Amino acid sequence: MSSANLLPEGFESLSPFVEQWAIDRSCDRLQARLNSSYEEREVFFEAGKGLAEPALALLGQKPSKEYSEQEARLMNLVLTLAHIAQAVEIQRDDEDFHAGYAKYITISHSAADR
Amino acid sequence: MNRPADPFQPVSKEALAFVGTNPIPAKPYYDPDYFQLEVEAVFKKTWMQIGHICELPQPGSFIVRELDFAGVSILITRGKDDEIRAFHNVCTHRGTRLEQATEGRKSMFSCPYHMWTFASDGELKSAPDFERFYVTDKSQCNLPKIAVGVCAGLIFVNLDKSPEQSLADFIGPLAERLEQLPVARATSFSEYTYEVDANWKLTYDNFQENYHLRFIHPRSGEAAGGEENPFGYPTQYGFHDPHRTQTIWSNPAPKVKPFQMFGFTKGAIMSMKDGLDMTIKDYFGIFPSLFILGNASTPFSQSIMPIAHNRSRSVIRLYWVGEDDSATRRFAQEFALATALDIHSEDRAVIEAGHKGLASGALQHIHFQSQEVLCRHLFKEVDKRVQAYKASHAGEKQ
Repeated sequence: MSSANLLPEGFESLSPFVEQWAIDRSCDRLQARLNSSYEEREVFFEAGKGLAEPALALLGQKPSKEYSEQEARLMNLVLTLAHIAQAVEIQRDDEDFHAGYAKYITISHSAADR
Repeated sequence: MNRPADPFQPVSKEALAFVGTNPIPAKPYYDPDYFQLEVEAVFKKTWMQIGHICELPQPGSFIVRELDFAGVSILITRGKDDEIRAFHNVCTHRGTRLEQATEGRKSMFSCPYHMWTFASDGELKSAPDFERFYVTDKSQCNLPKIAVGVCAGLIFVNLDKSPEQSLADFIGPLAERLEQLPVARATSFSEYTYEVDANWKLTYDNFQENYHLRFIHPRSGEAAGGEENPFGYPTQYGFHDPHRTQTIWSNPAPKVKPFQMFGFTKGAIMSMKDGLDMTIKDYFGIFPSLFILGNASTPFSQSIMPIAHNRSRSVIRLYWVGEDDSATRRFAQEFALATALDIHSEDRAVIEAGHKGLASGALQHIHFQSQEVLCRHLFKEVDKRVQAYKASHAGEKQ
């Protein structure tokens, strides 16, 4: 599949981020955040933050079990953005320091996982 | 008519002095012998929260929980009659651990050793070649029961064979307030855990005072602190027998970041859709080691489970009410999870550092200020039980 149709129409600009950030489970989303670089987080957040609202509007039109592969990827990107926003917007240059604490936490159950 | 809000005033130290003003002895926070007394006097005699009814959605559902401090494994079931029961997770033949899974659904539980099989109500249903045993009454071999109760959807057990109080008497009038919280209606949850090399009281106390917030959570707590209340002290405290409450102060001008506002707004939309009470700001400390934050957007519980005198486990859950799996709900849940997790993860290291320092024996006492009154109250409630236990067992060989 070419990167052009990895995501629903209108969200093609996020295709470069699918491989790293379209993650199925909450526990793995946290690990992806903790194992990423400042630059990787920054560029994903900048690209994604303005598309979160239209993504939720599109994805809200059907139950998750009816998502196409493209829609499921988009949902996972938005869910990962919830974690990355903490790093980029809240922790900022404290993130590496903070990650030293967060590595001791295990997400054992997540309602957002489907 | 609008008038300016009254400036925040913390509860005065004079108003809280009735809980005590003296320094608290440091040794009970690291001493192995004191911990053993706590296990006997508190944890084996008190109602402990270990689950939620949403984990037992239908007849046959079960969960297994380990109480490390007592070396006890507990099987909690929802029977065919819809009743929730708790048993020692132990085959009554030779003591083998009965159920290996941590959760699931089944109508019968079979011991892997000799295939004794029990129903979800604990009755021994079958045992191969049972006529060769010398037991005439099969009911003597039913699973050993553990006292269990439910309050606000939360499942509590009591290891005491004859609990001194029912769960309702233990929770008392707070039950009515707990029943108003999202946790009482929850149908799902998110959970994260961590272990820390620290006594359970030190882990618990970290969440009983806001004095540390601005120093340990300078970034994650940025939205909460404000000029008129830089420490984020609560607006009031409540003392309810062994339990305690505080009411969270709401910053009238929180410094919320744009995407953070987006995440919080999605959570608020879901809370309003679910009909949750957005005005509740209460934080409940249920003795000995459970917290419940009752607000609608981050309705979390935190259970501190003692493992040893110098180790404890925190289990944090965010309880959710809505049943649908809409994209907005899933995002709001994930955002709330990530937000709460960031704050909790920052506490772990300082809790561990506190234990290390106290365990060195350098300090004889801990000085709690008035806004650490809940820490003081917990120690007093624990120590009261420990001293009573010691007195009632005086003369016995330890």
